[in-house]
Amino acid sequence: MSDTLELVRETPLLQLSMQQTINRALGEILDTDDRALIFGEDVGVLGGVFRVTDGLRQRFGANRVFDTPLAESGILGTAIGLAMAGFHPIPEVQFDGFAYPAVNQIITQLARMNYRSRGTLPMQVTLRVPSFGGIRAPEHHGESLESLFAHVPGLKVVSPANPQQAYHLLKHAASMPDPVIFMEPKARYWNKAGVDLAADEETSALEGSVIARPGKHATLIAWGAMVSRCLQVAELAAEDGIELEVLDLRWLKPIDEAGLAASVSRTRRAIVVHEGPHTAGLGAEVAALVSQSCFDTLRAPVERVTGFDVPYPSGDLEDEYIPNIDRILFGVQRVLEYRRG
Amino acid sequence: MAEISFPLPDLGEGLLEATVLEWLVKVGDQVERNQPFVEVETTKSSVELPSPIAGIVLTLHGEPGDVVLVDTPLITFTVADDSAGIVGTVPAEAAPKRRVRLSAVLDED
Repeated sequence: MSDTLELVRETPLLQLSMQQTINRALGEILDTDDRALIFGEDVGVLGGVFRVTDGLRQRFGANRVFDTPLAESGILGTAIGLAMAGFHPIPEVQFDGFAYPAVNQIITQLARMNYRSRGTLPMQVTLRVPSFGGIRAPEHHGESLESLFAHVPGLKVVSPANPQQAYHLLKHAASMPDPVIFMEPKARYWNKAGVDLAADEETSALEGSVIARPGKHATLIAWGAMVSRCLQVAELAAEDGIELEVLDLRWLKPIDEAGLAASVSRTRRAIVVHEGPHTAGLGAEVAALVSQSCFDTLRAPVERVTGFDVPYPSGDLEDEYIPNIDRILFGVQRVLEYRRG
Repeated sequence: MAEISFPLPDLGEGLLEATVLEWLVKVGDQVERNQPFVEVETTKSSVELPSPIAGIVLTLHGEPGDVVLVDTPLITFTVADDSAGIVGTVPAEAAPKRRVRLSAVLDED
């Protein structure tokens, strides 16, 4: 079917990286929304340490794309004040590990201002956070904060898995009246893929999860950079005669309960994969939701393949920490072998 | 490709300028992050400056003997779009490897 689509397509898909599609999305948001402002550490003159905001300051001027001091609490405080004044701030926290100084502002102000003001001060803040590991960076440059943010009422959390999604999900997130934490998987910034920027995605198609690969024996549930790893695992499992479905969760708050239930009720087995530590990781929430919706059909307890309960290690130990292909395959094996009683 | 310029930083306590002693790279060279690219002399000392990024040298702003003011451009690089940021590396796209094989008996019921 995809071959047929390819034939009738007038122009070939653009080969773009996530870095480039996010840059394009930001440019379009600034172009169409006069209230939109981009600020953060090195996002202006330098164009961002990952080149994600490259050229935006030149295009839109230093009043709309500007550098801040190295003070994440101040970046978020500024964003909250600007949102109260009617602007649409799109701040960047340069690395996930730098978000901790801003967590107070995020939890005690940003997430609850709308609630506190009885809806008179909505916080249309799109917070971009280069997230997760995989680039052999030093401490504080690779974390997995999704369960921290997902736990906070008032925040939405989303993580794209590929360039096409990043483009459409960022524009969608920016159109929401609520604060959205946009977690960019930095390990996937450079991978190019065919992107249809013109795809007129219905808003409903941008909400919830997507099936990245259909299968029938078990569902791998992942988000961010782990989606591509799970797709590799599914490819290898197929050699062994096991057809794994890969469900890309995308939205981590709210979680697509119906999408989860639909997939696992068909495959009857689930393995959730994430980089964050095991205990109280988002995998626990996913496992609980699956158990609740699919208890009667599940053939095995939901398996979690995750990071370990240690501080995120520096680059040299990263491969030991992030779920690798073998660890995920072991998880699949455990689920397939499980027998009741 | 992006062009990124770096100005001469203040190398001491409130120094205003430095003299270029020797360029350690030439236009067109690929420079790695932290690779020394110039030796400059201030009124306090001479010092080699490490490159803050990896890139190809586009412009050297001054000849040996020239005085460069603090906060004015010293060197300009062109940087490939797929190069890493200031921290970390671009993950290599390796073919997936595994040791574990699945051996499940699927008793579908």
